[in-house]
This record gives sequence, C-alpha cells and structure tokens, in this order.
Amino acid sequence: MRSPVSARLAPPLAAAAFALTAALGPSLPLQRDLRDALITVDVTRSMNVRDMNGLSRLEAAHAALRLWIADQPCGTRVGLAIFTERRSLTLFEPVEVCADFATLSAALAALDWRMAWEGDSMISRGLDHALKRAEELKAGLIFVTDGHEAPPLPYSGPNRFAGESPGGVILGVGGDTPSPIPKFDDLGREAGFYGPHDVQHAPARVGPPPADAESRPGFHPRNNPYGEADLEGAEHLSALRADHLQELAAGRGLVFLRLSEGPQALSAAFAAPKAAGTGARMRRIPAPFDLSPFFGALALLALLVGWFAPSGLRSSPSASGDSS
Amino acid sequence: MIAFAHPLALLALPLALTPFLRRWLASAPVPRLDLRTGGEAPWTDRLLKAVGVVGITALILGLAKPHLPGGTRPHQGHGANLVLLIDRSFSMDDSFAGRAPNGDEESKSAAARRLLFEFIEKRPDDRIGVAGFSTAPMQVLALTQSRSAIAAAIAALGERGLSQTDVGRGLAMAMDMFDEAAAPDSRAVVMVSDGAGVIARETQEALQALARRNGVRLYWLYLRTAGAKGIFEIPRPGEADTPQLRPERHLHIFLQRLGVPYRAFEADSPEAVDEAIQAIGDLESRPILTLRPLPRRDLAWIFYGLAALMAGVLAAARRLERAYAPRSSAPTEIRP
Repeated sequence: MRSPVSARLAPPLAAAAFALTAALGPSLPLQRDLRDALITVDVTRSMNVRDMNGLSRLEAAHAALRLWIADQPCGTRVGLAIFTERRSLTLFEPVEVCADFATLSAALAALDWRMAWEGDSMISRGLDHALKRAEELKAGLIFVTDGHEAPPLPYSGPNRFAGESPGGVILGVGGDTPSPIPKFDDLGREAGFYGPHDVQHAPARVGPPPADAESRPGFHPRNNPYGEADLEGAEHLSALRADHLQELAAGRGLVFLRLSEGPQALSAAFAAPKAAGTGARMRRIPAPFDLSPFFGALALLALLVGWFAPSGLRSSPSASGDSS
Repeated sequence: MIAFAHPLALLALPLALTPFLRRWLASAPVPRLDLRTGGEAPWTDRLLKAVGVVGITALILGLAKPHLPGGTRPHQGHGANLVLLIDRSFSMDDSFAGRAPNGDEESKSAAARRLLFEFIEKRPDDRIGVAGFSTAPMQVLALTQSRSAIAAAIAALGERGLSQTDVGRGLAMAMDMFDEAAAPDSRAVVMVSDGAGVIARETQEALQALARRNGVRLYWLYLRTAGAKGIFEIPRPGEADTPQLRPERHLHIFLQRLGVPYRAFEADSPEAVDEAIQAIGDLESRPILTLRPLPRRDLAWIFYGLAALMAGVLAAARRLERAYAPRSSAPTEIRP
C-alpha cells in the first residue's frame, strides 16, 4: 500500500542511501590494457643538425616526446635508451609515467651527442638491437632517428630482420632539405660543420659491388670493380631519410611517422594494428571506474525531488497515522 | 588548500536555495489558527531548511570532486646526496674470476646491481643520481628521490656493457651532477668499476678544479678480478710502475692527491662488495633536508557522508511528521 506519507518519505530515504553509497566509494572493477614503451633516441652527430624550426633534432625530439609522455594514461611505463654505433643502451627500464614524469622529462632533456660512445651511426643494426631490447622489456619501441646511416649501408642493403618484433613506431626527425652537420672539437666546442672530405660517401669497398658498377666512371672488372663514383657525394649533409626508414619499418612490423605530425599522431600510430609487430605486449592493469559521482547525482536528484513532494496530507487522520 | 577536479559542477550551487521555496514538512489541510505559534515558522521549519541547504551543498561539492592536491613536504632525514658512477664496460659482465659467469657464479655487474638495490632500499632519504661511463660519460639519472626511477636505472645495468673505460670524464660528469639542492657537506660520488684508465692531463686539471669547487667526497669501489693487480699493491723494485701498466694504482694515487675526502675499497667477491657498500653507507649518513612526496587525498567521501547524514535527518523528520489532528483534550470530569 502506498500511503502519501511513504511517497513523501521515499525521496529523502533514497537520497540518504545514495549519498551513503557514494561516500563508500563504489567502483566498477574495469581493467585496461596498456602498452609500455621503450624510447630509443639516436644521439649520433647528425641529430645535432638544427633544421627543426631552429631547434636541433635532439631538442625537437625532447620537446615532442615530453608532450607525448604527458599524454599517456597513468600506469603506462616508459623507458629510455640511446642509440649510436650499432646498438642501443638502456638508460633506465620502463618507469610509470605519472609518478616519474619529472625523471623522464629530465632524462630526455639531458640526452646529448656526447653520450655517444662511438661515432658510427648504423641505424638498421641499431634498430634491430633496440627491437630485441624492447622485446626483453615487454615494451613497444619508439625509435627516434633521422635515418642518416654513417657509414653508408653496403650495396647489399640492410640486414633482414629475423626474430620477434615487439612492434612500435619509427619516429623520423629532421627536415627534407639536406643541412650541414655541426662539428665539435676535442673539448666539445662547436667548430664549424662537416665538409665533404670529412665523411665517407659510399660503403666500404667490401662485399659485392653495386649492380650498376659497369656504368660508373673508372670501372675496371679486375682493378676497379666499384668504379670511382663513390669518392664524392653529399653524405656530409643530412636530411630526414624517410624512404629508408619507411622500408626499415615495413620489414619489422613498425610504423613510420614524422615527429612533426605531433604527439596525438604518435599515440595513434603506436596503437595502430600495423605497429603491433609479431604481437604487441599489452599489460593489463586494474582501472576501477569510480561510480560515486553517479550515486552522488542520484542523491542530489532525490533530495531536490523531496522538496517538491506533494505536501498536503489530504487523507483522513487515521490513514496518515503510523501506517508505514 | 582544497582543490576541485570538476569545478564546473559548482555551477549547480544555486540549487542549494531550493529549501527556501517549500516547507519540508507537510502543511495541514485543515487550518487551525489556534495551533500556530505566533504567526512565524516554527523552529523545526528553519532547522530543516538549514539541513536541506547543507545537504544539497554537500552533494554538489562532492560531485565537484574536492581533494587535497598533494605535493611534497620537507623532511629531515639521514642520508646523503649520492651519485653512483658505474662502469659500463663489458668486462663488468664477467665474474670475479674473470670469465663468463656460469652456474652459481655471479657477474660483477649482477653483484653490484643486487647490492645497490639493497642499498637504496635501506636508505629512503638519499637523493641519488646515476651516471655511467665507458668511452663516453653518460648521465642516466639526475639526482632524484624517486625510488622507482633509481631502481629502473640500476636494473638497466643488466644489459651487456660497452667497450672501454674512460674514468676521467666519467668522474668529471659525476662531480658536475650536484645541483644547488644538494647541500655542500653531503655530496658524495661512489664510483663502481673493475678497471681504470689513464686520465689525460687536461682532464686531471679539470677534475682538480671541479673537486675543489664542488667539495664532494669520493669513494671508489674497485671490483678486482682474480689475477688483476690491486690498487694498494706497491710494485716490487724493478717492476714497471707506469700509469699505462698499472692504471688502477695510479688512479688511486691521483684521487688521493685530489684534495677531497677519498676512500678506496677493493672487493674481489660479492661479499667484499657488500661490506664495502655497508661501510660507505655508514660513512654517508648525516642529517639532510629532503622532500617527501605527499599523495593527493580525496575528500569527496566526507561530503557525501555529510549529505547522507543530512538526508537521514530530513527522512527522520518526514517519518515523524503528523497531520494536525485536533488535539483531544483531556477528558473533562463532569461532576454532577
């Protein structure tokens, strides 16, 4: 039986119950799949080229990656590694982005060409090493480079990648116009730029000669099987080698993306199925969905309704008594 | 200071005036003017209006997600500002016997890693930075208190090392890593290496200047491989004694001349490393002012709880409300 009194009593009772539920903090036990990332940054000399709107490629990479990390949901873990020579070196294993954002940002800012333990920049081999490392750490790879191989790749091209690829993104940094590479002296002071005679313009003369060697000037099948076309070139200038990086990415389950496309594009590319390699490693973490605002809103609604409950006790005194 | 995560919800605050529009308790349909108290609302009415205002306000504040936004608070602890300078040359991946570790042997880097984990675990107040060196010095982690970051940096030492050992530039980098927040009397560099190299004269001079300026204390934990010469061993007469042949001994001599408090430990087994790390820990324990993180604290539950209480009072008032029934007067005794 619904007497008018219980209709009047229901809203505040409901409000009390909802508010109490909200105070107890109920939540849905949802889970969320997160993908950790190992950011490997090329620290070779060509990353010093200042062709990113006045910033050097390293500085531009720092700024963009910092924004990207700030964008990641709490619980995601990001590690940092550097690449030079033919391998990568992990500075620290993935750390949680919210608790250790300051650490990540400071470490990105501290990346410097001086960390490079050797001057070579064998990107395809470094990339393979970084992929192996990311696979060990169960993280996706974000490889930041300009694609400038130094010394140039052998005529046979890069090695084929064999093994498990954790997937990820190759983040291309650099402009499209070849720009000079700053040169530093022994004490780390900038001393001009690399000139055409400072660098090697073609692969070392080992292994099979190029296919078009016959048409090259100075070619002789026995005495000069490589020709002389490899004595000069433009390897002392550096631009983003997007085609090379695209090719490397395609063979390794990675996605190529330009840094200039921004952090959102990086997040999208990192999550894309094409960037999954041979199986992206996801980590499932509890992400409870807080229901207290929902109950709080219901309580508010009930309380407001309560003030507008029918106020007249129109029934006879006997019905309005202690019926409930 | 209380902050709100969803401040837009506060726009609903005018709803808290709703109680002034209506009475909470029922009005009797039958007016009995003689039952009214002096023409003004009874005290219960005013009380219930106040309860309603408080309840609705609390709910709206709760929906705006109030919290104390955390941060850091200064904490007087015992520890030091330490920079761990770690050799990343690949010889660190060998065991103390100088070969690839197998079975129950532990590589030098694995032993150092395990003991450093224990070390940071025991000393919550230290600010620790990590730097590595091989051919080039590299700053891994600026001085930080974040245990998770330090642990991640130490864990990364498990990766196979690089080529050579350039101690001089590594030391210069480590000494340069102290910031203004590191009090001058609590700065220490702990160098962990299994070898040394010749330090160039320019680097030596730079190091002397840096050491004088920064006033660090220096510890060298030398992981001695079986068969290698010790740092304290004085060569027999006739034996060559040059920095090139005995780099460890000459580095030791150079560091002694640096003019800063310096102590070297020679360890040829994981147990000896443990002892050395304990000793460094005991020496580097003085009062320092650090920051402890203060987590963000949610306050919404307090507001929801208050609202539940208010709604309960209002419900109780409704439960107790009665229609005005003519008060039956006491039976009048009629005496004939």
